[in-house]
Formats: sequence, C-alpha cells, structure tokens
Amino acid sequence: MIRIAAVGDVHLDEDVVGRFRPALEELPDCADVLLLAGDLTRHGTEAEARCVAREFGDLGVPVITVLGNHDHQCDQVPQVVKVLADAGVTVLEGTGTVLETPGGRLGVAGVKGFGGGFAGRCASDFGEPEMKAFIRTTNESAGALGRALRGLDCDVLVALTHYSPVPDTLAGEPLEIYPFLGCYQLGQAIDSAPTALALHGHAHHGTERGTTPGGVRVRNVAHPVIKQAYSVFHLGGRDHLD
Amino acid sequence: MTEHSAGPPDEYVEAEIHRMLAEDPAVAEQGITVVRRERGLVLYGEVESPHRREEILRRVSERFPDVPVTSDIGVIRTQAPTQVEELP
Repeated sequence: MIRIAAVGDVHLDEDVVGRFRPALEELPDCADVLLLAGDLTRHGTEAEARCVAREFGDLGVPVITVLGNHDHQCDQVPQVVKVLADAGVTVLEGTGTVLETPGGRLGVAGVKGFGGGFAGRCASDFGEPEMKAFIRTTNESAGALGRALRGLDCDVLVALTHYSPVPDTLAGEPLEIYPFLGCYQLGQAIDSAPTALALHGHAHHGTERGTTPGGVRVRNVAHPVIKQAYSVFHLGGRDHLD
Repeated sequence: MTEHSAGPPDEYVEAEIHRMLAEDPAVAEQGITVVRRERGLVLYGEVESPHRREEILRRVSERFPDVPVTSDIGVIRTQAPTQVEELP
C-alpha cells in the first residue's frame, strides 16, 4: 500500500506561513509523499515562493508539485521553480518522477493543464488566432501529460494537475465557467496510461470525487474543497497493476 | 439624465466587483462569489487568512463606497485529517 497526502490551492504569502505547519509535522507518520496540486502562491512571486519553501520544506517526506495559474501571474515562473527546487520540492511540468516507497514504486506525472471545456461543450482549434492559441495550449499541455504518464515505469501511477480533467469534480461551480476550470483532453491523457489516481485543484467550489470516462478515480484536493491541511489516500501497492 | 443613487447595485457593478476581486493585486481571489440581494451585495467564499478576509471588504468598500456590501467569507481550516480514503 502507498500512502499519498495531497492538497492544492494553498495560496501562500507571509500572512499564511505557519498555518499548515502543525498538520504537516504529522506527515511522516501518515504519508509516503505529499503532492501539491498548484496555486501554491497568490501572485507567483519569488518572495511568495520562499513562503512555500518555508512551509513545505523539510517535511520528512518527498514533496512533488505542479504550478497553477496563480503561480504564473507575475511572470516569475523560473524564479519560483528555482526557489522550490532549492527547497527540495520536485516541480513537474509535462514530466514525471518515480519514488521508491515501502509499498512499491510510485510514479507521478504532472502538468499544470489548462482550460478548454468538456466533451461536446468545449473550445475548438478554429477561428481567430487568439482562440486557436488557447486551445493549442490545452492540447499541448494534455499531450505532455499523456507522454509523461506513459513514460513512467512504476507499480502505481498517479496524475497530478492543477486544472481538472473531468467535469464531475467541478459540481458546485457555475456551469458557465467550466471551460476555464479544465478540459477533457487531460482526462483523455490520464486514460491513455494505467493511471490509478488523478489529483487536481483549481475549482474552489467544486466537489471531491469523480472518475474519468476510462474509470480512473479523480479527486479535487483544492484546499477550500477538502477543508483540512491535506487529504490522505491509501493506494493498492505492488499488485495493483498486475 | 439619471443620477447615480445608493439603491441596489446593478449587474455591471456586480461584474466589476467580481473582476476586481481577481485582478486587484491586494486581493487576487478567484473563489469569491458575489450575490445580489435586495439590500446590496453579499460576498461568499473562503480565504486562507483573516487578514485577506478583512482586506477584501476594505478594498470593495473603498472602491464602491455607495454600494452596501456585507461579507460572509470564511477562513479555511488547516487541521490534520482524521480519516484516510482507501482506494483498493
């Protein structure tokens, strides 16, 4: 069995530092890894990234993250990634990593993702350059996730995104904004590999549970949704993919 | 000519406040819902600190002094989980 802790949308700045720490101190007793589903900061500044490094550094378990849309706001992504990497946090963007845990090899592939909408109610690669650029960003992001997932050799495979791969976990959000909250292409990428679990954030008013069309379990771990410092999932270990 | 009155806010004010909550760097919140009620606007949602909750109300009141605004914004709890989800 592999124990995964996860949370997204913690939106750190000076005023939040220390709030998560008491619960995080318990992590080594209850999880093999902590996955962060993006929106670590408010505006994506280097200073805010240092707050994330203080709060989520030296936890006693590996920390793996993707960035979110907030982490892009100030166009300081390289600086943010460097601060996080220096603190020992693995930042995924169309990439994957494999961890040895007592329950087996855990593979995590991650990407921020993008909007676009869901099957039958989504944007198309057609029309104005701006519209085409939007949906091409969606397609490229999902394509990178699929390649990263299929490229990992592991016992249990987890997909980590900021945007949602399914509409199920958006229930509670206004229908009109679904195309800004996720896209079906991420779900398609997740279903293209033997993924055991998909975790995302971004939808603060959404709900926790859903599944992809291919039957992969999806969990929205946005902090306002789970209303606790992190959620913990126990995933079947070595025999899961046998 | 119509004079701007202190009556119930219209849809454009609601839209402007909603955008301000995301675009004002002092707020930067996309998860706040603005609801029009008979006597003004009510802000719902959850934020990461009491400071942010106060700042939202302060910024909205400052920018729209004629709009009656009340806040029902909560601060998200950060306790450790007491249960795990088993996914066989």
